[in-house]
Amino acid sequence: MSFLFGRTRTRTNATDLPKQAREHVTKLEGPQGGPKADELAKVLSQIKMVLQGTPEAEPSPEQIYQLITGMIEEDVLYLLAANLHRLPFESRKDTQVIFSYIFRFRPPAGVQKPEPLALAWVVEKRPQVLVELCKAYDHKESATPAGTVLREVLKNEAAAAVILYDDGDEIGSSARGVGGINPDRPQTGNGVFWNFFEWIDKSSFEVAADAFTTFRELLTKHKDLVPKYLAVNFDLFFSRYNSVLVQSNSYVTKRQSIKLLGEILLDRSNYNVMTAYVDRGEHLKICMNLLRDDRKMVQYEGFHVFKVFVANPHKSVPVQKILLMNREKLLHFLSHFLEDRTDDEQFIDEREFLIKQIRNMPSQPVQPHR
Amino acid sequence: MAEEGVANHYQVLEELGRGSFGVVYKAIEKKTGETVAIKHIDLESSDDDIHEIQQEISVLSTCASNHVTQYKVSFLRGHKLWIVMEYLGGGSCLDLLKPGVFPEVHIAIICRELLLGLEYLHAEGKIHRDIKAANVLLSETGKVKLADFGVAAQLTHMKSQRNTFVGTPFWMAPEVIQQAGYDFKADIWSLGITAIELALGEPPHAQTHPMKVLFQIPKQAPPRLEGKFSKEFKDFIAQCLVKEPHLRPTAKELLKHRFIRSAGKVEALQELIYRKQVADAKAERVKMPVYYQETLQTISPKDEADEWVFDTVKSVVPPKRGTIRSRKPSVVHGIEDVMHKLDIKDGPLQPTTPSTVRKSTVRRQSFRQSQQANRHVSNGSPRASIVSKRPLQPDMSFGNSGSTMRLFRRVPSDTSSNPSHFGGSSPTDSFAYDNSENQPPTSYSYQAPVEPHSKEAFLGRRLYNKALEPCLDELHAQTAGSAKREALARLSDALAHLDAVDPEGSYHLLRSIMSTVSQDTKLSNAFIPQQPQQQQYQQHKQTPSEGTPQGGTVIKDQRTKTLQPPPGLPSSPTKLIMSQENPHLASHRRRRESNTELDNALGITQPGGQVNGRAVSPDKESRDKERESRESRERDKEKMAMAALEAKFPGRPAVQGMEHCKALSDLLYARWTDGLRLRWGGVGGH
Repeated sequence: MSFLFGRTRTRTNATDLPKQAREHVTKLEGPQGGPKADELAKVLSQIKMVLQGTPEAEPSPEQIYQLITGMIEEDVLYLLAANLHRLPFESRKDTQVIFSYIFRFRPPAGVQKPEPLALAWVVEKRPQVLVELCKAYDHKESATPAGTVLREVLKNEAAAAVILYDDGDEIGSSARGVGGINPDRPQTGNGVFWNFFEWIDKSSFEVAADAFTTFRELLTKHKDLVPKYLAVNFDLFFSRYNSVLVQSNSYVTKRQSIKLLGEILLDRSNYNVMTAYVDRGEHLKICMNLLRDDRKMVQYEGFHVFKVFVANPHKSVPVQKILLMNREKLLHFLSHFLEDRTDDEQFIDEREFLIKQIRNMPSQPVQPHR
Repeated sequence: MAEEGVANHYQVLEELGRGSFGVVYKAIEKKTGETVAIKHIDLESSDDDIHEIQQEISVLSTCASNHVTQYKVSFLRGHKLWIVMEYLGGGSCLDLLKPGVFPEVHIAIICRELLLGLEYLHAEGKIHRDIKAANVLLSETGKVKLADFGVAAQLTHMKSQRNTFVGTPFWMAPEVIQQAGYDFKADIWSLGITAIELALGEPPHAQTHPMKVLFQIPKQAPPRLEGKFSKEFKDFIAQCLVKEPHLRPTAKELLKHRFIRSAGKVEALQELIYRKQVADAKAERVKMPVYYQETLQTISPKDEADEWVFDTVKSVVPPKRGTIRSRKPSVVHGIEDVMHKLDIKDGPLQPTTPSTVRKSTVRRQSFRQSQQANRHVSNGSPRASIVSKRPLQPDMSFGNSGSTMRLFRRVPSDTSSNPSHFGGSSPTDSFAYDNSENQPPTSYSYQAPVEPHSKEAFLGRRLYNKALEPCLDELHAQTAGSAKREALARLSDALAHLDAVDPEGSYHLLRSIMSTVSQDTKLSNAFIPQQPQQQQYQQHKQTPSEGTPQGGTVIKDQRTKTLQPPPGLPSSPTKLIMSQENPHLASHRRRRESNTELDNALGITQPGGQVNGRAVSPDKESRDKERESRESRERDKEKMAMAALEAKFPGRPAVQGMEHCKALSDLLYARWTDGLRLRWGGVGGH
């Protein structure tokens, strides 16, 4: 088959393909959707071949450059992201590969731009591409390919910022590019990031699990961006987190989100977020109820959040009150807590530590001084 | 993720198989009537991140090939993840290998189909990483499909490589083992090994320890197929098993190989399936299908008083939405369901003798009593009346009675009710539980038992009741693997049967085992501690109970041949020379001499603490290891049971790392001897 895609032919393709793709994608919804999808599938697989090369021929950076500029001009990236769920099975996978290659591609010579060409353009000029990729979680078909692309892209801090600070037409939203972001303005809670809570809680297992993985990446990768974001949007974030995720009906969502909460709180870069979190008596109550969940792994993950409250040397008065009110119960409870975890030494040590801490608390709450 | 209801779309039928991942059931999708396989993964049972399971699903869900098991859907049901897949009725190639190896023509077909599957996967940027007969499934019509993507990798880039060390050792390519970066070619190597497996019944090096294989594969020349196979087949395998991944052909290239091109149609593989069905039908035991049973989560009613107190208003745990599920019998075969409950696998041990309580945790008291009640008739002993009376016995349960006993393993809790192990009245009868030394000497004067059987039969029965059976029970309780448990259960049944039919047989069995063991230096060192006896002897010399008939057999001393008192005859004190091996002496000597060297010496003569470790070590890992090594060394479970009992004797040198418990049991021993001295102050004399 290689003669079909010889040098001369692919050269013309590199400029034509984006145009063809655009033409077909825009008609997907129309009455001609079926046949257009087939034609689009062909175009996409050709685009993939240009990017990926074939076993016989290495990909040519020149052609790729041409192709990418063409796709930017025709806005094909946005169209593909928005229509991902409408594509046929194989095309969705092709699209995933195409996005991965394009976002990774750096121009061959000269300009030492820190960001890959297409990604830089998206982040600055067309953030809607990333937003649409997130919205692919609305559909079972598009969740996995979009999620795979997103997780790669989100390693880039600017791309993560675009998603975190997307807030519609508000001033300071990322909608006009990463440069327009105002990180000090609290979010309204209508941006695409806040949709993740719904996707994780409400979707089918596959979608929810994929969305959660992306959500976690978003919140754990960037040590400057995220602490600042959480500090500004503290109440909104944790009220949603606790009510939607930690209290979720789904075992997996509940367990994973408690674990992620522990990871966020124990991350050094989130120190200020952590101290603010463990000052709230409300948070401690949620956490203590987790210890009594009837599923052991939920109890276990809950323990790793609970320990942060107890180990905190500057416990707030409300937290002290709750602990003191339940002191005897806690001591008794903890001494029998997850007893069958006999080979988890760290856990046993930590449990002992907590028992000691609770036992040694002064009987009246004292004002913390720090 | 509220999708509990989806499970109702399926009628779950019998179990197809199980593995570390969970259980696979056959099921019918109600709407379409299509048969599917559903994998149930209990997420609660693993600490691992759910992420890995999700990884497998995402690899599977992006595969659409006739050569890969078709993934359908997955959903959560409580803390169980259900993964619905295409049902393949032919079974795995490993199952199909059971009646015998595959003919070459069939292997060629399977290899071609696998290559097609690999060609697809590799073009998709996926590496399977665990190709082996067990992961190759056949449909009823003979279609060959790749299964189990538990360790598969998705490469994001055509040229990228992996370093992760995954797979199954025997099938692993050298570059995977060396973690030098590998790609699709690793699957080709595994395919070559799988072809050998299909031809010979097992992969190369199958007899070697998996860990050792990991060293051998990169070092040795690649395996070759020898013997009566065609040149093409041998060459095909040689092509797959090229150590240098760059020189190894791709799946696409191998499809052009002569061996593959001449392969026939997949329908021919139905012969293999038929062959297996015939073999199954011939097998004597009808395999009882295990039907799906919805596990009912016991929702323990929570004590209101137990709830946390927040503020003045009592907080209540948020209503457990979704965790309370109504029991819906999901199986049509109601009676079979009940039968399933009676299935042997569910019981702690296989068919039991009715008199025995098998649950080790409740065994202690009731076991003894039931034994006494059952047996005292036959031996005519009036001791049944004195069972509950244990005047001298210190309370050694440490509050560890009942189910918590295993937390305190080093302390031989069995001995708590059986002080005879501490060097009781009959040092010669060390295997029998015997209360008699706590009785005033007079009580034995008229105790000549009316023996309905021969002496040997009596002792044999006693041996079974008091030693073999409890030891097996204990061992069983400590054994985790279901296969191992089953093996133990079978042994237990066999012994029970022997006891019922021919108690004399048990006696002779043990006797000859003991004497054989004693003849082998290594074995006797390992199983029978060797210490000179002094103090113990003095203590018991004056104990009149010495001569009671029950204590007559010197099972252990038979080893030494010279010391065996004639069974049944009251042995005179002068004859009562304790065997050198008597375990009680070790502690005596040590206490007197604080001879630490002895300990060390013993540590050497008992490599790995093999005897002591059995019943005693709380360390599960070391116990498992020991068990494995022991099992491989010798299958003789009686010997082990015996050793297990011996290991519980106080005064044994402590297992390394268990010195603290050792001190405890020594202390208890001292308390017991003190009690003994008080009781028979006159006779003690030391």
